[in-house]
Amino acid sequence: MHFAMPPRKTSRPPPYAARQSKSIGIPPALRNLLRDRLRLVLAVIAAIFTLFWLLGRSSDGGSAVRLKAHAGSGAPVVIVTVIDPTADRTWTEKIKKNREDYAKRHGYSTFFPQNDDYPLKGAPNSWAKVPALRHAMTLNPTSQWFWYLDTTALIVNPSIALQSHALNPSKLEKLMIVNEPVVPPDSVIKTFGNLKGDRIDVIVTQDKDGLCQSSFVLRQGEWAKYFLDAWFDPIYRSYNFQKAEAHALEHIVQWHGTILAKLAMIPQNAINSYVAGPANAKNGKYTEGDMVATFFGCDKEKRNCIDEMQPYFDNLEA
Amino acid sequence: MSRSPSPRPGGWSSPGLNTPYDTGGRASPYSNGGTHNVTWASAQARSAEVKGYTAFNPRNQGFFSRHFRRISTSLPFSAEKEKMGRGRYQGSKVVQLLQRIGRSLYRLRKPLTVLFLVIFSIVMFYVTPLHRVYRRSSMFGGGNKFVIILAANQGGGVMEWKGPREWAIERDSVKNKKKYVKNWGYDLEIVDMSTKKRYAHEWRESWEKVDTIRNAMRKYPHAEWFWWMDTNTFIMEPSYSLQSRIFNKLNKITYRDINHYNPLNISHPPADGYLDPETLSAVGDGKISSINLIVPQDCGGFNLGSFFVRRSVWTDRLLDIWWDPVGYEQKHMEWEHKEQDALEYMYTNQPWIRPHVAFIQQRSINSFPPGACGEKGDNPKIHYQEKDRDFVVNMAGCEWGRDCWAEMYNYRQLSNRLNRNPWEKFKDGISDSIKKMRESKKDDKKKGNH
Repeated sequence: MHFAMPPRKTSRPPPYAARQSKSIGIPPALRNLLRDRLRLVLAVIAAIFTLFWLLGRSSDGGSAVRLKAHAGSGAPVVIVTVIDPTADRTWTEKIKKNREDYAKRHGYSTFFPQNDDYPLKGAPNSWAKVPALRHAMTLNPTSQWFWYLDTTALIVNPSIALQSHALNPSKLEKLMIVNEPVVPPDSVIKTFGNLKGDRIDVIVTQDKDGLCQSSFVLRQGEWAKYFLDAWFDPIYRSYNFQKAEAHALEHIVQWHGTILAKLAMIPQNAINSYVAGPANAKNGKYTEGDMVATFFGCDKEKRNCIDEMQPYFDNLEA
Repeated sequence: MSRSPSPRPGGWSSPGLNTPYDTGGRASPYSNGGTHNVTWASAQARSAEVKGYTAFNPRNQGFFSRHFRRISTSLPFSAEKEKMGRGRYQGSKVVQLLQRIGRSLYRLRKPLTVLFLVIFSIVMFYVTPLHRVYRRSSMFGGGNKFVIILAANQGGGVMEWKGPREWAIERDSVKNKKKYVKNWGYDLEIVDMSTKKRYAHEWRESWEKVDTIRNAMRKYPHAEWFWWMDTNTFIMEPSYSLQSRIFNKLNKITYRDINHYNPLNISHPPADGYLDPETLSAVGDGKISSINLIVPQDCGGFNLGSFFVRRSVWTDRLLDIWWDPVGYEQKHMEWEHKEQDALEYMYTNQPWIRPHVAFIQQRSINSFPPGACGEKGDNPKIHYQEKDRDFVVNMAGCEWGRDCWAEMYNYRQLSNRLNRNPWEKFKDGISDSIKKMRESKKDDKKKGNH
């Protein structure tokens, strides 16, 4: 069978057609999709739905981020001191003034609840510091750090700012004592060795007998609620620990890994140098220039805090 | 072979028969001698060359070449040819019938393809293990987000020997969960809860729930929700998925405010003024994302026979603080239900727990049989209702004076009966009616005799 020959192709092929300038961004496959109006409308609707979907998904995370940003905007540090209403008024006023001066100097704030403000259900009054810290966090939802400072402690070197002195993650990592028995001398539970400075939620010191109650720093957050509520459990309050909340703290730190994992132990003289009392043998004694001087047990028995502190008050006022 | 006319002038070329014009060309191997010398053999050979086969070669020797035409006419694709009316092959009636079937199949090819695809996908997605794969995957089913932790051997080990009934109960329970898990692409972790002396200085009998959940969380790093189930539970409706029954509508079926149903009379929300607003709120922050523990409540308080716990930092903390030696030392005589009582205690006394706990209607995951929480089994909040097709039965406390095995057996039978497929229902219907007829006949006979 015979067919006509196909027409001859030109031996000079035309150059490639230049791309039309008006449809720059759209690849040919997509341009095909958008050919008629119905398809265009559908594509726009689909795009809007995708956008909503993406935004809807990220809204949860977005609010969390906003909250976090919000949390850092208040006073960075709140100093919490629980006042005993039965103690000498002049002394407690001086203590309050000491905190307030320091706070004003560095832009921090203060909180002075009384130890009978909270229902302790028969437990020793020293337990009041735990709900007091929870209370301070409720009142200052935007602050990050809460420094509990006992009435027996005095800020003697107010020029040192707590944040740069101990709370900065890099500084904290340098100060942290790792692999140290939580309760001296030979507790089998030791502080963790691989902690990051920005993951720490509570900063404590250790004297000769155990973890100190006179000065510690706590970071606001869900963990702090857990820590304080677990510490304040009625079971511990009624257990007759020999040293009440101090032993309860040592107990939960040693038995519960989720607490130990957020705890940093720093040298005692960083925030809690003892003028008198069972100081840590390595770094607990007060020396000139330390930030805080603690008069351990000066509110007990026959001692008198105001007399012991007087030279330091004089120093500060001078 | 080319049948085109010879390009050469001089008519048809018939080699060896006409004048030798081609003497300088190729010499045929068959041409013996000169071109004038034509023999019969050489002519035959030449003709064979032209025809392409030898004259002595018998044709149609193989089966296929012999039957090819018949086969090809009976195939459906020859229908087009048939329409032309050419080459119609008049075969036997069977062949004609086949032909007709083939033709009609060909005409129906489009609907048939669709049907075939549907059947194929049913097989792929429901019969073969493929449906498990996609139900597991996080993109489609999300089944790998759920793990069932089944406590086996509860109270066994050094405390008592297991009898044949206990073995049977355990076997049934495990089988039931295995089937369920396989169907929906979840994971099943069977844990041995037999009493062991784990720590040198104290016993933690039946407190291992905590350690077990932690181990499961470590073992299934992609799972989010962990469903704890005691041995004496039975999933009555294996066709319910956790997603559709529970987790897609958490805000509807759970309640955060315990006052909704409060058998323990826990005062809620906490009244201590020093707490933060979220803790003081009766519903926490009210978002589904903050729910980390879902517990049903029976007539006496929390019930940990069947509950959900979610992987989260909060859960880590809860599992860590749940067992504490001071609490244990003071309360282990008083806390008969071990970690269940401990959880109630912590919920009451540690405010940080409340904003992350949600409660679920007991019958959603933990229906009781009669005998638990009331002899009659008529409490609509607690007891299993057949007509509502409750999800799970928990034969709680059946080891205290009830017959675990009988209960398990009855519920298994009930579940099977409720979940028969239509064919089984049809068969059962027939056998039931026959039985009835026989019985009525017997009755008639008896009546006649008397």
